[in-house]
Amino acid sequence: MSRKLLIIITITAVLAAVIIILPLALNSVYWTSILVLIGINILVVSSLRTIKLLGHISLGHVGFSLIGAYGSGLLATKLGLSVWLTMFLGGLMAAVLALVLSYPFLKVKGIYFALLTLLTAETLRLITWYWKGFTGGFWGLLKIPSPGPIVIGGLTIDFNNVNSYYYLTAIIVAISLFILYRLENSHLGFKWRAIQDTDVLAQSVGINVKWHKMLNFTIACFFAGIAGALFAHFQHSLSPDANARFGVLMSIYLVVYMVVGGESKFSGPIIGTVVLSIISELARGLGEYRPMMIGAIAIVFILLIPEGLVGLPFRCKLWYRKLLRLTQRGSA
Amino acid sequence: MDASAWIQAIANGFALGWMYVLIALGLTLILSIMGILQLAHGEVYMIGAYVTYFLCVSLGVNLYASMIISMIVMGVFGVILEKFLFRPAQRQILPPIVVSLGLTLILMSFAVTQFGLKEKSIPRLAEDSIMFFFDSAVPKDRIIAVGFAVALLLLLYLFLKRTKYGQAMIASAQSPEGALLRGINPNRMSSLAMAIGCALAAAGGTLAGSILMLNPSMGTFPLMKGLVIIVLGGMGSLLGAAVGGIILGLIDGILPVAFEPGITSVAPFIIVIIILLVKPQGLFGHE
Repeated sequence: MSRKLLIIITITAVLAAVIIILPLALNSVYWTSILVLIGINILVVSSLRTIKLLGHISLGHVGFSLIGAYGSGLLATKLGLSVWLTMFLGGLMAAVLALVLSYPFLKVKGIYFALLTLLTAETLRLITWYWKGFTGGFWGLLKIPSPGPIVIGGLTIDFNNVNSYYYLTAIIVAISLFILYRLENSHLGFKWRAIQDTDVLAQSVGINVKWHKMLNFTIACFFAGIAGALFAHFQHSLSPDANARFGVLMSIYLVVYMVVGGESKFSGPIIGTVVLSIISELARGLGEYRPMMIGAIAIVFILLIPEGLVGLPFRCKLWYRKLLRLTQRGSA
Repeated sequence: MDASAWIQAIANGFALGWMYVLIALGLTLILSIMGILQLAHGEVYMIGAYVTYFLCVSLGVNLYASMIISMIVMGVFGVILEKFLFRPAQRQILPPIVVSLGLTLILMSFAVTQFGLKEKSIPRLAEDSIMFFFDSAVPKDRIIAVGFAVALLLLLYLFLKRTKYGQAMIASAQSPEGALLRGINPNRMSSLAMAIGCALAAAGGTLAGSILMLNPSMGTFPLMKGLVIIVLGGMGSLLGAAVGGIILGLIDGILPVAFEPGITSVAPFIIVIIILLVKPQGLFGHE
């Protein structure tokens, strides 16, 4: 037990060190910005997986990110509230909307849930597109402020700087992931899994299925909202365009990240997001062929390695055994 | 608001409605027979329109002939997709969704790289002629488009009602296990559903492309409409898809006359929520 703990602590320490050193080692605004976006995506995809614990697939998680982003951005620009507060309020707005919508939504299951969430995200995007007076319409919401500078022991940290925003993102994402991880491994998480396996049985042993479904959806959307707020104050501008952050395409990418990483383990979405984002960045030369590549990767993974990247060692073992058996049969 | 504007709105609504029905029927067929939500259906619609464009504008084939060739090409494409991508992924929730999402990315990227982002247009079905209904002008090409859509749907209806394969498809949609017990091959039914669905989508894409414009992201909008119709008409009900499509078309035709575009865009969503709260099985759904 203590050895296991030691391994966990070592891995965490190494990861933390890498995360801290990375922007200093890369020393490039471009790559650090990519890292910030990867961090934000990790949070969205992980919260997407939280919904998947119930067996639901949400194709509209970007919609709740949009609420968080626009909520936080509008509160900061129109009312001039402190960004530290609006970020949290953005997440809260996404959570409230999710709580309201979860009542009709969770009546349905499987593909119909996917369908409904997809419609929700698209509708929210269209509302921001048409509501010119409030959200800036298709011009987008501009001049969103950065979080205000904070002073720690005489040292002023200014968040207009990419590196400091990177550390802020890293801290918020790390805390959020920790909360999601703890929730998943608490009695709540076990109940969610029980509901995924068989909701009738779960109900019969005294789990309030409806309430747990609503809670799960609300929590997941809260973190999607937080991720959206992080995005808003990093980019300083938001656009409701279909090809931008909150379109259907982004929803597709999020699901692909989750599946390629592997949705069975907590680390899956993180690994999937990091690996695919880096592949996509390195393949910049392919230009418009990149979505094709990502789509092909997604299909290959779901058909051949449905466990995703985290299940790759297990898959390789299976393939190796099969190969071994074939060669033995050949020699016999 | 005078009467002629209303009549025009209703005529527009009908024209839109039949386009939606073409998409929604394909989606519903695939959903009810294969149990798969074909999210790349909008992309099939888009590629179908581009195939017609290629044949008609680049090769100079007659417009109607190119439309029929495009339907056949997309039908065959649908069979290939079913056999190699959707069949291995069937009978679970996540894999078919991921396959259709991956397919969306692939087809959209294919269209962008091969045809470019510039908008194109298929020649119009009828030149510069306008017909009059009760003093309100309706472009003739819309009427021809509606005529085509209705003819295709009648053909589909006859196929489903009068032929052995059609009846087998209906049986398979109502109860896959029951159909299997009666000796109906589910794989063959799936191929047929994909072929018909994709051919209808290609026809829809062509008709829409001759009225509106072609661009690689033209498929998203009709897909969303198709999804609303599926919920509205009852999940997996063919009659529901047809009636739901017309209702949604009328809503989309009439609301912009009376309200702002913002409200129009929210209306389908509100309808879906109300349907879910009041009658979750849709207007014509069973179970």
